[in-house]
Amino acid sequence: MHNTDMDPEVAQWVEMLRSPQLDDRLVAVKTLQHLGDEDAIEPLIGVLYNEENPTVQEIAVTTLWEFANPVAIPPLIECLSSPHANVRDEALSALKELVSTNDLMKLLDVLQVGNTYAQLNVLVLLRKIHDAQALPFVLPFFESENPTLREAAVITLRYLNQVVRCEPALALAQDANASVRRATALTLGHLSDAEVVPLLCELLTSDADWQVRRNAAQSLDLLANPAAIAALIAAMGDPEWQVRKFTARALQKTADERALPVLIKALADEYSDVRRDAATALGKLAQAEALPALQQTLNDPDMDVRIFSQRAIDAIQKSLPETSNV
Amino acid sequence: MALTSQRVDVPVIVDESKCLEKCVACIEVCPLDVLVKNPETGKAYMKYDECWFCLPCEQECPTGAITVQIPFLLR
Repeated sequence: MHNTDMDPEVAQWVEMLRSPQLDDRLVAVKTLQHLGDEDAIEPLIGVLYNEENPTVQEIAVTTLWEFANPVAIPPLIECLSSPHANVRDEALSALKELVSTNDLMKLLDVLQVGNTYAQLNVLVLLRKIHDAQALPFVLPFFESENPTLREAAVITLRYLNQVVRCEPALALAQDANASVRRATALTLGHLSDAEVVPLLCELLTSDADWQVRRNAAQSLDLLANPAAIAALIAAMGDPEWQVRKFTARALQKTADERALPVLIKALADEYSDVRRDAATALGKLAQAEALPALQQTLNDPDMDVRIFSQRAIDAIQKSLPETSNV
Repeated sequence: MALTSQRVDVPVIVDESKCLEKCVACIEVCPLDVLVKNPETGKAYMKYDECWFCLPCEQECPTGAITVQIPFLLR
């Protein structure tokens, strides 16, 4: 019920929200959105609970999102489990902007009792809150039968502050679903368990999915661990150029002389991104043996490669003793 | 501004079977005020053939009755 101080124009449209005619309810909710009067918040929340039509519900969600009043957050959280995809998606978009740390407990409750849609959406929202308190509630989803939930949970893990070790996540590196392995490969780059680097090396060299291998290379780049050098050298021969590119980037951080031959070979790679990143890696290695190969790439058809090769040459020459003639 | 003579030629096409008589959402959001209601039918239509192709009318329509035909070179 609306209060007596309500603007008569708003009151008229609020009244129409209860019309048995769908057309009237659509017009009413749309007009209330345009009027932007906060007196309409309560009736609009009522729409979320009582309305059957998903379009009216969606417009009500959008309107409550525009009001950005915290009182609408609990009903919007309930919309995350709506059977209608448009309502769920709109509520998720709204909550991405509206939720704060104060809403963590409400979200965790839904994570435990909500349906699959709600659980999936809450896992996404937890990435915004970053609170490590959510970890015990996220862990059970690693063993979910639904691969989408496993994937969402392992992505959420990488957004939780202060979580640096998480043994249950390691098992997902061997998941049967490629999307889960892709997400896990990226998350492992944010963890520091002892098994992380060997696991990433295995993914990089042996996984059947090239995106998993690429993500493993990206994580090894983040970790910059010298123990990964053998796997990184092997991955420079990967058939996919994206894997070679990110491996070359990882080799920029883990500068090791053993990588010299593969990096020199990569200067002649079919893809210019690989040539550019290999040139930069050679610059970091600072070995005079790389200079002739780098000088040849100064005629590369890609301007980026020419620029980065010149920088690598400059870096190597700078690092050489003054007496050197190279 | 030129009055439109052939409503099928204008860029904002309103599906009259979906347009709601009491709704004025598209008319309110049009920055050029070129959309109006036909007083006989209560349906919206493009009165003046001027359009910025900014699309709020299409996005705001609660029933998806509006289609804005964007010229090929602006796509």
